[in-house]
Amino acid sequence: MSLRLALRMAWRDWRSGELGLLLAALLVAVSAVTAIGLFVDRLQGALQLESSSFLAADRYISGSQAIPDAFRQAAEDRGLDFTDLMLFPSMVFGTGERSQLVSVKAAGPGYPLRGALIAGTEPFARGVPSEAPPLGEVWLDPRLFAALDVALGDQVEVGLARLKVSRVLVKEPDRGGFFFDFGPRLLMNLADVPATDVVQPGSRIGYRLLLRGPDAELEALRAELPLRPTYRWRSIRESSDRIGSALDRAENFLLLGGLLAVLLAGVAAALSAHRYARRHYDHVAILKTLGATPNQVLSGYLAILGAIGLAGTLLGLALGSAVHLLIARTLSVFIPAALPPPGPRPLLLGAATGLICALAFAVPALLHLKDISPMRVIRRDLGAAPASQWLSYGAAIAGSLFLLIWYSESLALTLWTLAGSLVVVPLFGALALLLLRGGRVLGMQAGSGFRLALSGLQRRRNANTAQILIFGLAIMLLLILALLRTSLVDEWRSELPENAPNHFIMNVTPEQLAPVEALLACIADGAADQPCPPAPSARGRGLLYPMIRGRVTGVNGMDLKFWEAQRPRRAVDDFSLRSERNLTWTNQLPERNLVVQGEWWPPDEQRALISLEDEYAWEFGLQLGDRLAFDVGGQRVEAEVSSLRKVDWESLQPNFFIIFSPAALEGFPATYMTSFRLAPERKAFLNRLLAEFPTVTLIEIDAILEQMKRIIDRVTRAVELVLALVVAAACLVLAASIQAGRDARMAEYALVRTLGGARRLIAGSLAIEFAALGLFSGLVATAGAELSVALLQWQIFDLGPSWHPWLWLFGPLTGALLILAVGMAGARSLVASPPMLVLRGME
Amino acid sequence: MNSAVIRAQSIEKTVPTAEGRLTILDGIDLEINAGESLAVTGASGSGKTTLLGILAGLDVPSGGQVHLLGHELTALDEERRARIRGEHVGFVFQTFQLLGSLTALENVMLPAELRGASAAQREARELLEKVGLGERASHYPRQLSGGEQQRVGIARAFASRPTVLFADEPTGNLDTATGAKVIELLFQLNEEFGATLVLVTHDERLAGRCGGAVELNGGRLVA
Repeated sequence: MSLRLALRMAWRDWRSGELGLLLAALLVAVSAVTAIGLFVDRLQGALQLESSSFLAADRYISGSQAIPDAFRQAAEDRGLDFTDLMLFPSMVFGTGERSQLVSVKAAGPGYPLRGALIAGTEPFARGVPSEAPPLGEVWLDPRLFAALDVALGDQVEVGLARLKVSRVLVKEPDRGGFFFDFGPRLLMNLADVPATDVVQPGSRIGYRLLLRGPDAELEALRAELPLRPTYRWRSIRESSDRIGSALDRAENFLLLGGLLAVLLAGVAAALSAHRYARRHYDHVAILKTLGATPNQVLSGYLAILGAIGLAGTLLGLALGSAVHLLIARTLSVFIPAALPPPGPRPLLLGAATGLICALAFAVPALLHLKDISPMRVIRRDLGAAPASQWLSYGAAIAGSLFLLIWYSESLALTLWTLAGSLVVVPLFGALALLLLRGGRVLGMQAGSGFRLALSGLQRRRNANTAQILIFGLAIMLLLILALLRTSLVDEWRSELPENAPNHFIMNVTPEQLAPVEALLACIADGAADQPCPPAPSARGRGLLYPMIRGRVTGVNGMDLKFWEAQRPRRAVDDFSLRSERNLTWTNQLPERNLVVQGEWWPPDEQRALISLEDEYAWEFGLQLGDRLAFDVGGQRVEAEVSSLRKVDWESLQPNFFIIFSPAALEGFPATYMTSFRLAPERKAFLNRLLAEFPTVTLIEIDAILEQMKRIIDRVTRAVELVLALVVAAACLVLAASIQAGRDARMAEYALVRTLGGARRLIAGSLAIEFAALGLFSGLVATAGAELSVALLQWQIFDLGPSWHPWLWLFGPLTGALLILAVGMAGARSLVASPPMLVLRGME
Repeated sequence: MNSAVIRAQSIEKTVPTAEGRLTILDGIDLEINAGESLAVTGASGSGKTTLLGILAGLDVPSGGQVHLLGHELTALDEERRARIRGEHVGFVFQTFQLLGSLTALENVMLPAELRGASAAQREARELLEKVGLGERASHYPRQLSGGEQQRVGIARAFASRPTVLFADEPTGNLDTATGAKVIELLFQLNEEFGATLVLVTHDERLAGRCGGAVELNGGRLVA
């Protein structure tokens, strides 16, 4: 058969409506994947952008030495935007003798590259987005106005420079919870730094080169620059574990949604291709009697499929793009951030989905057409060997796997989905058969509508088992999405408990300890607005931790350099054992810490012992009994590792990698720190705290928390959108499978009507049949969803398994209603057709 | 010159059943010469249709040989048999076997299109005129009566300018009057195209119009 003839046949088939369903299935497949892909791609872009505002850039390079000009040149060569930051602590002098240790940020032109810098004209008021301060001006943290006793327009001294206070700094995008970056902020122009003369050899200065531009260029720059060992490359994932993991989960979830849409689309394509092939058995037999060879038949049908695939793909890409625009527009109210333009990947993915759906799902259905015997023209019972099940299922599984892996870029997610299906399909099949048999027994005792419906279900039990499998699969996927969505969101929310501490207080001197502790105890008791009675022994409440900086210098009597050289390094980043760390000492095991090896020391312990965070110990190969030497403020301290702890880093409590027994460090000059919760309406308390203790450092975490909550809400919304798209795809699959069984139903109902069955009887029986099919599918789906979700939660999302009793009502009911609605809509014309037309059409 | 267009030797056809192998054809020997018309008659289930399928190369026997126009069909694969059918064989079926998605004209064009012939449409139109359906060329099979559909089937059978025409109960689905007209047309065209005709029927009258007749009984030739 020539290509021209094949295309003409395709055109004739199309004209007669034969190919419409296959084209529709491919269209649905491609457009669903394209729409989800495009939307997810852009949403991920937006999430990335939003998260980037945490860095005030897409990436940055940090180091304790000045960033070389060569780095800037390289960034410029790649067309990236960049600017510089310097961060350092400095004593700042205000009016009279008032002075305060502040955390200075000197910003170059264009800062921030991402996110907004907000400044205002009075302390503790709302501000407006602004550019970084101009030359000769500084902006101050609201609390510094009281601490330095200055007002807008006054001057402050930073090192040798006198700079004018021009604005109140309300919000910086990159005010992260990094401990080297604490203290009230003073923001100044980078060009003013030389005049301050604070940059001296040995000063503690953090340098950053902020970068903005396309991911590919940024990653290329990262590969090209000689960063190690002096400089570190920072992205959102590396800067904040918590946001990184939220993003990872969101991506996993969105991709899972995409995966499910691909599977559903594949099922739709396979269903319609098999129906098309079945309807062409006679056609092929006739062509063969007229001299068409098996190869001509095969190439002809492949050409037809190719034409349909091409049309479906092109139309699907267009439709998918339109749908995604529609979604983006509809949801613009909920997603205020402008979505960045999509990359080419979603379109490629859509096109590949069209090709692979055609190859893996539709081609196997058509391959056996070449083997149809021409004898079928004479004896219809001959020559219709069904499509090879091995080939059909094998190709479908291989195609799904390929798409799943490509789409999710996660082998683990794909394999677990597949393993789930391999377990679920035989179980579903057995359960479906049982339900059909049970339905038949019940139907025997019921009225004629029921009897007709339920006996029909049982009579076509093979086809119906397959239908229940498909419907069950679709509903199961929806339930899985709904369950995961609920549990993920709950988990995200629970990661940020309502009463999580939202402030850190640091730099509390030993003299301030008792009154500060009393004041904090007062907040804890909810009476911060009332004058607090002096606490007789505030330390007894153990609210504040002593803190001192120190570094490890040796292990087990060996110099650290030699010791490190002897063991394999496990740490993945450039986090080092020799880095300076915050050390503390206490008699009480801190809250949300769990000793996993060794024992916590007794209150009267006299030996010098330390307790290490267990992952820290693992990364550096430290064990119980190792003796670590420390340099603390120039003095050597040695202590033995006596316990390893698991620490809940999400708790927002003060947490330490290394805790000493009091005997080891007591007497060292330390400052004290802790975290506490303050309701937003009681922010004024901060003024009282800072007025009474102007030298303490306060970090307000609630702003960071608020930003994180916004990201999580955004992610939740994205998840809901994907869920809606998958529901739509599943409904289309249902419609396709009802179409696939249409011929058999038409024959049956034509006969019933010819024999005098009323239209109402047929409509009623159809409704009962669809509802029963939906109910059975829902039951099967519920069982499958519980099983799969337990597996997914355990393996992919790192959550504990949980059971959902409500699902056993919701699943079957949803199944019955959904299939009833979609089924009756699809079968309306069946009920309405005059029996004669149906009988003639059957021929 | 050996003028046998079809030569069948010791044809056997058996099919597996639950009770063992069932013999449908049992040692059939047959020769049909060019230009002959042969009726194959017999009761239902006597094996007529199976024999026709085997002689036309639509099916393969369990034993024996079939030569069609000098080609040993039983030694060829389906690919080669199909080519021979396309070049030399025409069919008329009891159930017409028109493609429902094609118009009358397109159905008649099909054999020529499969051969890649260029003047398919003109020839098909001429044939439709010959069978009296020139005006119905653009109609679909479902818009035609049974008799009209069979006339389209006959036009299609001759569109491949066949050397041999196989007809399987061509009037089986038609009333007597219509059947008679269709048969008239079939014989008229067969004469015009000079094809060898093999006609399977249980209609004695129809068989009587053929030059020769054989009867099958229980899978064997009895006359």
